[in-house]
Parts: sequence; C-alpha cells; structure tokens
Amino acid sequence: MVTPERPSFTRREATFEREPARRVFAAELRETRIHFREGDDEKSPTYVLLPTGERCNRVFLVGTLTEKKKQGEQNMFYRARVVDPTGTFFIMAGSYQPEAMQQMARIEAPAFVAVAGKPNVYETPDGATLISVRCESVTPVEKETRDRWVLDCARSTLDRIDKMGTTKYGERAQKEYHTDPAVFRKMVFEALTQLSM
Amino acid sequence: MDYSVISERISLKVSAKGHQADRTKIEGKLRRLIEEFGVPPQEAERTVLNELARDLSIPDLVPGTGAAAGEERQLRQLSSGDWATIEAKVVSLSSSPSAAISQTGILADPTGAMRFVVWAKANAPRLSVGSWYRFESVVVDEYRGSPNLKIHSGTTIKEISRETPLIPEILAIGDLTPGIGSVKGKFIQEWDVSHDRMLQAGLLGDESGTVKFVIWKEEGKERLNPGTVYSVYYALVDEYQGRMSLNLTTATVVPEEGDIPVSGGERVFTGALVHIAPGSGLIKRCPVEGCNRVLSRQNYCPVHEIQPGFLYDLRIKGWLDNGEETREILVQREVTEKLTGISIQEAKDLAENNPLGMDEVFLRMRERILGRFFTCRGREIDQRILVSECGFHHFDPGEIPALLNRAGGAP
Repeated sequence: MVTPERPSFTRREATFEREPARRVFAAELRETRIHFREGDDEKSPTYVLLPTGERCNRVFLVGTLTEKKKQGEQNMFYRARVVDPTGTFFIMAGSYQPEAMQQMARIEAPAFVAVAGKPNVYETPDGATLISVRCESVTPVEKETRDRWVLDCARSTLDRIDKMGTTKYGERAQKEYHTDPAVFRKMVFEALTQLSM
Repeated sequence: MDYSVISERISLKVSAKGHQADRTKIEGKLRRLIEEFGVPPQEAERTVLNELARDLSIPDLVPGTGAAAGEERQLRQLSSGDWATIEAKVVSLSSSPSAAISQTGILADPTGAMRFVVWAKANAPRLSVGSWYRFESVVVDEYRGSPNLKIHSGTTIKEISRETPLIPEILAIGDLTPGIGSVKGKFIQEWDVSHDRMLQAGLLGDESGTVKFVIWKEEGKERLNPGTVYSVYYALVDEYQGRMSLNLTTATVVPEEGDIPVSGGERVFTGALVHIAPGSGLIKRCPVEGCNRVLSRQNYCPVHEIQPGFLYDLRIKGWLDNGEETREILVQREVTEKLTGISIQEAKDLAENNPLGMDEVFLRMRERILGRFFTCRGREIDQRILVSECGFHHFDPGEIPALLNRAGGAP
C-alpha cells in the first residue's frame, strides 16, 4: 500500500524488519566469540556469530533462574544465572532496561523464566571472552513453557546445523570456529533426553 | 532418583572446610531443583554448593560430576540405532506386507507410539491388539523417515497385565511430524482414488491446517462421510516432499458430534510472544460514530479531541517470534479475554479499584502471556497478523522422538 504524499516514509516503514530472537542452547552461546556490525551506519544492528552458523542480534531463552545478584550503587543492575539442560546463561538487566529490571526485582530463585534479550560479547583483560544477555524482559513461566522451549531450541539448532554448508553465516562459522556439527548434535540429543526424565 | 550420592559429596566438601551441613536439607534442595525445576544434576549440585558457600562464607567450593542412565526406556526416548527394553501396548495390527514379516502394527505407551515389525524368523508368539507386553532387547531403526521397532530372534516377549488406559495426545494438523499421530479433523474434501487398492482419499482439516489422508482396502474397513468430524487415533504419518499425509488404514477412527472450525487459507503463525507493546491491555476508544480511535490517557482523540464518554476495549499488540521470522500480532477483545482469562468487566473493575489503574491490567496480562508459545491465525497484512483465533502452543512429548532421530542421525 503506497501513500503518495509521503513516499519516503512509507518506504522506510516497509523495510523495517524486527530482528528475530534466535533459539540457542547455553552450551552453544558459551562458545560464541565473534561479533560484528552489519552496515556502516552507527545505528546499524550488531550481531554475534553463532557457532552453528547464524547471525544473532536477539535471543529468546527459557530456563531456571538459579541465582540473582544486585550490583552497583548509583547505576543499580541485576545479574543472574539461568540454567538450561546444556549449561548456564549469564543475564543482566540495568536501568536502560527498566521493564526487565522491575520484573527481575520480583523474581525469587529458583524459578522458571522466559528471557528475551540481546547477547553481548566481552573480552576480559586476560584475553578470555564472556557472553551475557542484556534482558528486554524476564518473565516467570511454568515448567511446560520451559519444556516447549527445549523442543523449539532443539529444532532451530538442528535446522542451523543441517544448513551449515549452504549459507553465508554457516560457512563463516565453519571458518571462524571450525565447528564440528557432531558436537552440537550431541548437545541437542542430550538436552532432549533430559526432557524425558 | 537418589540424591544421597550428591548430598554426601556436598556435605563432605563442606565438612572438609570445618563446617556442618544438614544432609536432609541438602537433599530437599536438590530434589526441588532437579524434579520440580528440571535443572541438570550437575548444575543443581553447583547451585546448592554455591548457596552453602555463601551462607557459611566458604569460598571455592567446586562442583563434581553427575551419574549415568538406566536401560529400560520409554517409546519417546528411543531413536534410531538404540537397543532397549520397553513395556508397551499393541494398539493396532495391519496385514503383513511380506512373508518375511509375521506381524506389523503400532505399539504405544504413555509417552508415545511407534511402528513395529516382527520378523518371521524371530519365532515370536502372536501379539494381539489391546494387550500389553514387555519386550526385552528390541532394536530401533528408521523406515521411510520415521522410527520403527524391530522384534527379532533375540527379543524376549512376555505378556504383562496393565490397567492403565492409554490416552493418545491429539495433535494440531499443522504440527504433525512423520511417525504416528492422532488428530481431530473434519473431512472437508473427497478425492477420486488413484489406485484399485485404495478405498478412499481426501482432506482432513482443523484450525491449524489441512492434511491428505488415504484408507487402503482391507477387510472390515469402512468409508468416511464427507462433512463429518472424526477423531483419528494412531494414524501413520508419512512425509512426501515436505508435506505430511495420513494413512488411516490401521488407525482407530471415531466419528464425533458437532462441527469444528477449519483453516480457511489464512495465515497461521506459531512462535513465542517475545514482546508486548504499550497500548496493550485495557484501552479507551473514541465514541464518535465511525471513529473508534484509541484515546490517550487524558481521553484525547487525535481527531475529535477530548472525549469523556469513551468506550473501554481490550487488545494485545505484540511480537510473535519463531526464531527465524517475527510477526506483529494484533489481538482483539474476544481472543484477548480468552487468552488472558481476564474479561473486559474484570479489567474495568481492576482499573477502577487499583492504584496502578489501567497499568494493573497490562501487568496481569503480561504475567500470563509474555514468554509463552502461541499459534495465531488471522489475516496477514505487511508482517502484521490481525488475529481471529489464538491458542497456547503446548509442550508435546510426541515431538521428541523425531528430534532425537535428527540429532542422532548421520552428520
């Protein structure tokens, strides 16, 4: 649909696409180190490169929040650990994410939580890389939602592995990480077997 | 599960640092994390250790490793290449396609269902429909893309008595995966049969989509009536060029009373609700005939200015996300009420009797739906779906076998 009076506005609106929230297991996100910006503009989105071969600007994860810590005086923020069947996500919410921060304030560990947020890679002075998720929202959910997510994440991860040799980011991931698909298939397999417990 | 090993390990570590730890308490915490919250044992051990370390101010308590698994399995845990012992019920038998096969059909347990074959060479006792058996040492392989149990000469079969009724889980037609599936669908189109041996072919539909079905000629098989709704239990689901089809020959097909809505070619999108936008929840609309615009908090309509005689409405604006694509969803009052369990009357009462006002409605709705999985259907315009129907997309253990197969398959 074109509005003749404001063509440029219509075009901008039409090209906006929200970044999908990738489904990634903790054990895969932990291996993620490469990050880059797509485009030259300072407002261009930034991505991390997942080892199974996809660019990722946002993640959606569901797991058990096992620990929560409040940090900082002036600029107070929360750090927390969220556990999935393969490992641990590190998440944080600060004053730039007021919605997530208020949600986090009310959560008592342990609890199942659904997290939408942006992954960030940090390099420590001794050369190690850390990855944490800056939350957009942290919502307490039921076990059912966690189990649903594990299936969802398993499927997405397998889809990425299956396509790895044929996509731009798949090839890049193979070059940068020397990804062994068998390792990630095993990770998915083990995550699924824990569901049947 | 036995937690004494882990709790022993934890309490040893704690006492090595000169502190006392209550084993019953530790086991209680472990049980809660592992059973109630599905935390892997290793991580649960780490969490409990950390908590103790904090409470007792002991730094550096490092976690150890977890335990191994048993060999008796349930159907949904099985994948191609496995050897296992299972207890399952024969829910259907079909005529044997070859002299090398003595029996073939479908086995089910509370976690799922799977095709099986009994080789003629296995010298196995005849299995009968409706009985439970214990099968020791069966092997799983893949047949036409779905898992298949093989009963061979090394398999020990014992009939067992079980009273547990099996209730197969009904899947949405759009969610079918190769293997065995149960659906409730309406017979919406009958096709000409393409083969002498084919009794009937056509389309079954439910809210999530449509699927082709066939029934092969076999003794006692009856034709279905177009326009009728059927519950179909344990049908064979095959995949051909990415599309599913149902073989009802060996399935149990039960006609149902009444009618169900069927997908009319509109967009169906399944994903997680990752964001709820401001302007969701209880809203006020301009009462001027034909306007219906949303008013600001101060009851201001962009066209008709201040409108104190506003009308209340409920809606949800948000983003549904499947990991690859996103859709903005716009959910109208009726569906919003159904999803959140909050009626417009309750929402008005909440807003009028609560210090947070309309925000309270937003917060309560967020609590119930944000971060959950939904399947929405409706008209799609420019990445936005005007939702006419929407339901929670539930966890289905029946999806596990196919995923395990994919994960365990050749790289």
